[in-house]
Amino acid sequence: MLRSATTPVLSRQRLGLAVLWLVLILVPFWVPFVGGYTQLAGRALVLGLAAMALNFLLGFTGVMSFGHAAWFGLGAYGTGLMLRYVTSSTLLATVAGVLLGGVLGTLLGRLLVRRRGVYFAMITIAFGQIFFYIAYRWNSLTGGDDGLRGFQRQPIGFGRFLLDIQGNDIALYYYLLFVFAICVGLMGLLLGSPFGRTLIAIRENERRARFLGIDVERQIWLSFSLSCFFCSAAGALYALLNNFADPMTLHYTLSGEIVIMAVMGGMRSFWGPLLGAAVFVVLQDYVSSMTVNWMSFIGLLFVLVVLFAPRGLLGVLQRETPR
Amino acid sequence: MTQLVLFNVTNGLIVGAFYVLMALGLSLILNLSNVINFAHANFLTLGGYFAYVLIPVIGFWAALFVAPLLTAIVGIIVERLMIRRVYGRDPVYSLLLTFGLAFILQDMCRYVWGTQGLPLAVPASIAQPLSADLFFITGYRVFMVVIVLVAVAGLFAFLRYSRAGIRIRAGILDLETVAALGVNVQLLRSLNFAVGIFLAGLAGVLAAGQIGLNPNMGDSLLMPSFIAIIVGGVGSLAGTLFGGLLIGVAAAVTTVFYPTAADAVIYVIMALVLLARPRGLFGEEGMMS
Amino acid sequence: MNLLEVHHVSKNFGSLHAVQDVSLMVAPGELRAIIGPNGAGKTTFFNLITGFFPPSAGEIRFDGTDITRVPASGRVRLGMARTFQITEIFPELTVRENVRIAVEAAAGMTLGIILRRARQEAIAHEISAAIALTGLTDRADRKVGELAHGDQRAAEIAMALALRPRLLLLDEPTAGMGEQETFEIAALIRRLHRDSRYTIVLIEHDMRVVFHLADRITVLEQGCLLAEGTPAEIAANEAVQAAYLGQAA
Repeated sequence: MLRSATTPVLSRQRLGLAVLWLVLILVPFWVPFVGGYTQLAGRALVLGLAAMALNFLLGFTGVMSFGHAAWFGLGAYGTGLMLRYVTSSTLLATVAGVLLGGVLGTLLGRLLVRRRGVYFAMITIAFGQIFFYIAYRWNSLTGGDDGLRGFQRQPIGFGRFLLDIQGNDIALYYYLLFVFAICVGLMGLLLGSPFGRTLIAIRENERRARFLGIDVERQIWLSFSLSCFFCSAAGALYALLNNFADPMTLHYTLSGEIVIMAVMGGMRSFWGPLLGAAVFVVLQDYVSSMTVNWMSFIGLLFVLVVLFAPRGLLGVLQRETPR
Repeated sequence: MTQLVLFNVTNGLIVGAFYVLMALGLSLILNLSNVINFAHANFLTLGGYFAYVLIPVIGFWAALFVAPLLTAIVGIIVERLMIRRVYGRDPVYSLLLTFGLAFILQDMCRYVWGTQGLPLAVPASIAQPLSADLFFITGYRVFMVVIVLVAVAGLFAFLRYSRAGIRIRAGILDLETVAALGVNVQLLRSLNFAVGIFLAGLAGVLAAGQIGLNPNMGDSLLMPSFIAIIVGGVGSLAGTLFGGLLIGVAAAVTTVFYPTAADAVIYVIMALVLLARPRGLFGEEGMMS
Repeated sequence: MNLLEVHHVSKNFGSLHAVQDVSLMVAPGELRAIIGPNGAGKTTFFNLITGFFPPSAGEIRFDGTDITRVPASGRVRLGMARTFQITEIFPELTVRENVRIAVEAAAGMTLGIILRRARQEAIAHEISAAIALTGLTDRADRKVGELAHGDQRAAEIAMALALRPRLLLLDEPTAGMGEQETFEIAALIRRLHRDSRYTIVLIEHDMRVVFHLADRITVLEQGCLLAEGTPAEIAANEAVQAAYLGQAA
């Protein structure tokens, strides 16, 4: 175990952060040795981003969305449609995905800001299903039930240098990590700012926040919108990862899975949801290859986490936002 | 054309009746215990399968009552073992818990009865169309509507006149006071949960007679039931009743004129209601913020 | 000119008339106490002033502006800060973090992302000042939820002060406190009023505190205005005595 005393300049927290990023950067080199593969790590990273995006709202604003698959799926479809019909630029397609989910989330979020608790959750679920049905029914555009196929992520050129994310899994992973880092960096910056502190204030005590002059509805709307943008980014990456977008990425089943990832990792900790996503993805991969009754196992996981580990894996260890 | 419209409106009322049964149960549990029961649709399915098992033994008419009762008993067990442990905690936990339960129940039904659709035998006496012109109005459809009406009337009478029902209504308004008056709140919640699940089980038997059985048969009713509650106004059972019928008929009428939008129209109604009356049609406006 | 003017406000909850036709004028620099038997409508009246809910009738003016329809957060931004009968704080955060959120909100930084160093220092200074004023400096880095009841109340007052209010509204600041804590909070309020010249309106049950602190007293009974005057006038008022007769106050 590393001792912080050997590096007196860095606080323990910074050291932890450095180690974490090192682990993430070196994934393609160590994952094969523990029986994984880069594609699986990419999946964990992308779903981890989705869970962290949800937790921006759930863990740090205290507002529960149970429909975040909608913004994830819209990000995936936005990127897929863009690559299929409009452009061969992966970067442009990623941006389009982020915008599609983020902007629609922002618009619909306006209808939600006065609802709280289970009612907020219920309406977000219903909103999510709107897009599921659209993708499911609009066969000619989205491929309906079969999902959107017929697009390929394209290599990204930086001047003379070409990042071949099309044929090279490791290059793809680094593109995912690049977008992940931007989103997570932004989330950290936001949560450590005066704006982020108002969100935590709302989570801790909404009435007090209101009587400090904080416009609670506006802040919740902003938090929801930001969360949607980050979640769409994850969805956009998901489409690139699979060269595929299917209606189940919009379904409330995925919303529930994103929530369990966040809770299992620890919704009071910034990085917990990433850990939760990694555990979930690995478990799902393993269990679904072992038994046809994997749904029972996933369901059991939900029940066990709720009854026996409600604070999550990191919840006990870590206390607050990155400062 | 008239016949087509009539056909679809009838369909809409029947579908709406299912929404109402589902949504009333969900609404009861939501109002008293602040729990969204994601597994509600799976209890409905379970009710259908129980009837499937029971009919050869005790016949259709007895199964119509016994199957929902068995479902309610399963509901009580689940509530006692698990759901009561998340009362009063952050609502995210009850959502996740019932979400997980939904997975488990669905997988169990699949494991026991298989993924193949199964038919549910309905007595010949009510299976016939009532007339040749209105071929779609079978005796069974009339029968379903009657049973739903009886169940809804029974529920409202229970809540209005029985001691337990009055306590449930009081608990919805102010659970703390009810507890302070010496009512066993745990028991009240269990009973309330059982009533909600009974309605789901009943809907399951009726639906199985109409469309047959499969492990996912309840899933398509879950979202519309949520929307019925949101449209009607959270906290109001009358609102839920109205909301269920409204979206059922609206979806059916849309089917006549623009079939591909039939799924979407209920969401449009929800969005419009949320815009115009954020607390739903029967909900009350709260404090200023 | 009065800082706060309440003209003939009423509030009905269904058929219950919680507050009926009550008026109140508070001059700058004044310390006004609102008293009355249980169920007199004091807290409802307070909630009308602070915008917790709108009145059924009447008008409320703050510093000359009609604020009857301004929501709570807007009234805070105009300069009205309040504390609650049951302390409302952010229990999981430290005193300093609690006050920081108030300072930043008052500085209009609720959308702020990046702060310049000078601004950061100014804010840190303001946080320390509010904490020092309430005597919590040595407990500034402890979680508020872990502090004693009286210190939690002091922290809540520190948050209210951090909003740089022109009017401070305190709902039963000594509620649920022991002898020692009551004296400490009363002394704090007195300092704020005498030394820092805050205009204060408070609801209070403890008559020793009321008569010790208040410039003027307003008495409510069953939602109506019963009497208003200096502590001496109120002490001599027969209607007030009658209202409190049989009450354990």
